[in-house]
Amino acid sequence: MNESTEIKAQIKRLLVENLMLQITPEEIGDDQPLFGPDGLGLDSVDALQLVVALDKNYGLKLSDAAVARNTMQTVNTIAAAIEGNRTPR
Amino acid sequence: MNLRIILITGANGGLGTAIAKAFLRERPDNFVWLGIHQSGQNAEQLLAENLDRCRRVSLDVTQPDAWQTAVAEILALHGRVDVLVNNAGGHIDALLAQMTPGAWTRVLAVNLDSVFHGCQAVMPAMISQRAGRIVNVASLSALLAPPGQANYAAAKAGVVALTQSLAKEVARIGITVNAVCPGYIDTEALAGMNEETRQSARAKIPMRRFGRAEEVAAAVRFLACAEASYITGSLLKIDGGIL
Repeated sequence: MNESTEIKAQIKRLLVENLMLQITPEEIGDDQPLFGPDGLGLDSVDALQLVVALDKNYGLKLSDAAVARNTMQTVNTIAAAIEGNRTPR
Repeated sequence: MNLRIILITGANGGLGTAIAKAFLRERPDNFVWLGIHQSGQNAEQLLAENLDRCRRVSLDVTQPDAWQTAVAEILALHGRVDVLVNNAGGHIDALLAQMTPGAWTRVLAVNLDSVFHGCQAVMPAMISQRAGRIVNVASLSALLAPPGQANYAAAKAGVVALTQSLAKEVARIGITVNAVCPGYIDTEALAGMNEETRQSARAKIPMRRFGRAEEVAAAVRFLACAEASYITGSLLKIDGGIL
């Protein structure tokens, strides 16, 4: 499993565990919308928990609401933000 | 030992001190942080008597940055905060027609803004823990809205509404948010009354006596305890039967 795939798997586990979703991580698609009726159906309270979990686990700060909204669209967009947030080695 | 970390604002006043003592007596693993803007005798005595379970943190509750710094200090030491008691408050009474804008703004800041800033400051930690207890000290004035307290009554009514709104937001995360509404409590706030006013106030109370700070503290402690896990968004009146 390459690093990008591993991060996406971690994000899916984080979603299931932190938001107590009644599905398995494997059931979440990389491009599946997280919010709204056509996606996972997360709501604003889930978003709040997700912001805290991403900060705690990856140091990803999403204090700006617009940035948070754009970042938390899908597993792919979250993974891209985490990778972009990492200090270049 | 896993400590239970409790932050109490306005901890130098009579009520704050009684709340801190109630938590310290309740369980040996309770660790109490006294959020204090200006230290005083009550807090110093509590700290001296409970060196291993009680600490002071500098906190001007009206300043969001002060809250962030205070909570960061607590998290740096313990990594968690289990209970927040928003007790700091104060009143500057006047008829509305004669109330200065400063008296309005100050009372709103100390009583209502402080609760907003405090809840916001502890929220990331409590969400991360998926557990937490917030107890806001409102007032019977929030429900009675007595004359001469437009600012204080509005602020405390705001605390009640904030309590109920936040309780719904975070209920499923394991955080409870409740408020107590004390009536006439025999603390420094009543000590300023002359005897005639005290008698007049006492006559309005079905129990015919003022409440004790310890009686309010017991209610706060209960709302923060494990057995109160299904209580959220509630208001508990402690008023000797006035309302």
